[in-house]
Amino acid sequence: MNKDIDVKKTRINNFRQSKVPGEFMLQLRMPGNLIEAKYLDVIKHIAETWGDGLFHVGTRQTLNATGIKYENIPAVNEYIEKYITEIEALSDVDMNKVGLDHQEWDPKSGYPTIGARNIMACIGNKHCIKGNCDTTGIARKIEPLIFPSHYHIKIACAGCPNDCVKANFNDFGVMGVSKMTYHPERCIGCGACARACEHHATRVLSLNDKGKIDKDTCCCVGCGECVIACPTGAWTRSTEKFYRVTLGGRTGKKDPRSGKLFLNWIKEEPLLQMFGNWTKFSAWVMDNKPQYLHGGHLIDMAGYHKFKEIILEGVELNPECLVAENIYWAENEQRGNSHLIPLEKHAKAGPR
Amino acid sequence: MGCKVDYKKINKILTELSKEYDIYAPKRFLKAGRYSDTDIIRYDIIEKAEDIVFDEKSDFPAKEVLGPITQTLFYFTEDEYRESKVSSKKILIFMRPCDINAMEHQNKIYLQNGGYADLYYQRLQEKVKIVLMECSKGWDTCFCVSMGTNKTDEYSIAVRSENDGWLVDVKDDEFKKYFEGEETSFDLQFVEENELEVKIPEIKNKAILTKLKTHPMWKEFNSRCISCGACTIACSTCTCFTTTDIVYDENGNVGERRRTAASCQIDGFTDVAGGGKYRTTPGDRMRYKVLHKFHDYKARFKDYHMCVGCGRCIDRCPEFISIVTTVEKMAKAIEEIEKEEC
Repeated sequence: MNKDIDVKKTRINNFRQSKVPGEFMLQLRMPGNLIEAKYLDVIKHIAETWGDGLFHVGTRQTLNATGIKYENIPAVNEYIEKYITEIEALSDVDMNKVGLDHQEWDPKSGYPTIGARNIMACIGNKHCIKGNCDTTGIARKIEPLIFPSHYHIKIACAGCPNDCVKANFNDFGVMGVSKMTYHPERCIGCGACARACEHHATRVLSLNDKGKIDKDTCCCVGCGECVIACPTGAWTRSTEKFYRVTLGGRTGKKDPRSGKLFLNWIKEEPLLQMFGNWTKFSAWVMDNKPQYLHGGHLIDMAGYHKFKEIILEGVELNPECLVAENIYWAENEQRGNSHLIPLEKHAKAGPR
Repeated sequence: MGCKVDYKKINKILTELSKEYDIYAPKRFLKAGRYSDTDIIRYDIIEKAEDIVFDEKSDFPAKEVLGPITQTLFYFTEDEYRESKVSSKKILIFMRPCDINAMEHQNKIYLQNGGYADLYYQRLQEKVKIVLMECSKGWDTCFCVSMGTNKTDEYSIAVRSENDGWLVDVKDDEFKKYFEGEETSFDLQFVEENELEVKIPEIKNKAILTKLKTHPMWKEFNSRCISCGACTIACSTCTCFTTTDIVYDENGNVGERRRTAASCQIDGFTDVAGGGKYRTTPGDRMRYKVLHKFHDYKARFKDYHMCVGCGRCIDRCPEFISIVTTVEKMAKAIEEIEKEEC
């Protein structure tokens, strides 16, 4: 094969290099992870026309087609214009605001950036009996705040703290929670909620000697198991939605870690205001020059306190919302002490 | 004959009636359901026509009005006690025929069973007047026709909810003054056929009953039923309760006695002093409930079965156990036993 291919450009275009020289895998974004089934025809057509006939469900909830030859990329890009336009419109994404300088998008050129990944979501309360929120809905509201941007960020939305979507291993994990109300007059003292809480969650409920329930409010994760278990409706969810946000989770060869709890009981509006500051924070850390670095690394470079300062700028937190004063990261280093390196090699944050 | 009343006038009438009555009806509680973004419909005091849910079955039955889930009976200090107080107003309840028929069961158990009237129920029951909510179609879990509870004439007022107001038939003279409007014909309808039907099998003798009790059919529920008791709380006819003394001081001399709804489906229901436990598995408890409702009760009172076919137990069961299918399984088991006997 004698081909001259700029693989960095194809990568930004959402075509991933294959081990077979000259072949690529297309990744179709699917923000919020719920689209009409008719779009399966799109990936089917691509796989059977330009690919090797196979289809991979991407680990970040994308629709992938393998074995696409480099020379066919323009044809594929032309074909996916309709898909991109329709799918991104579901999140009200403005495709003509690519990157910091808001470049215009050429609709025939495929995806303009791989930076902000499509926001992942579990099925949420559209279907799941445990879900506390519309995960697709909240994912689609966050999308236009972070995409199309060259700054890398991985976000996932979970319907409840059970976190089937593994939001904990994303830069930001957004989990639907609820503040429960106890109606003692409807309680028959059966203890089903206390048993459910102990079995599924954090054991914050106990049956008292009056045949009613005591709650350790502090440690409640807001999952709603008590509501599901109650035979009488003595527990109800708040009518308003709340979220819990984990920060800095990641996978990786170097220093994978589970996210740490950053915000608890935040309402939707301030949550969106917070995500609205992400680009500003990334731009500050990298001095307006996007690099292939995920959000968690940027927070490491800036330090949590600087991150907190920028990301919460102008955010009107609801009174119930709690914010981590400090975060005590606990990496799971693949190689012991991998964070110990010569001082001059430390990454630097801020203007330079 | 009936009359047509528009919503503006209905709300005026309800406001007027509220001076004398606590008006209870099925009301929607937004997002208060078992699952996220689902509602609950249950009985509560209403103020206006729009509060009343006509087009959906309530999740919980009308029995909660006279038999609240938790109720303080009396307060005690050393050798004296004082009964709890109730609202001085009379009670008006909007009910469908199934709930009205269920009130018969409630009355029988609370007022006649054992030759003793339960004061705390009686003092509420005496004040009740009924508004019949016309129910002509029912829902896919209803089987009132099979239970013969689809009809009733026990009401003071009957109401059909229409887009522009109510069609009203007033039987009780006390309420006639409120509804002086244009006379129009109102042919009150009842459910004549349900999608769901059930034939209650007859257990002809004690030998069959004894064999039925140990029939393997009940074992199925050991893995399916989670013993939550949601079926009995949602049941229109169940009346079981337990009492708890809540003491206010260290000596136990001052406090209150509460009664709280209980459920034969919940583990611990049969615990007695000395450590005895009688129905220890979900299957045992299901057998007890089904036989009580569809055999024992009728055998004792010699009138009708303890079920009005409202289907709320089916609606509320988080494990999708249908009482109708369970009764059908029981009928099959009885057939098997009878064949063996021949």
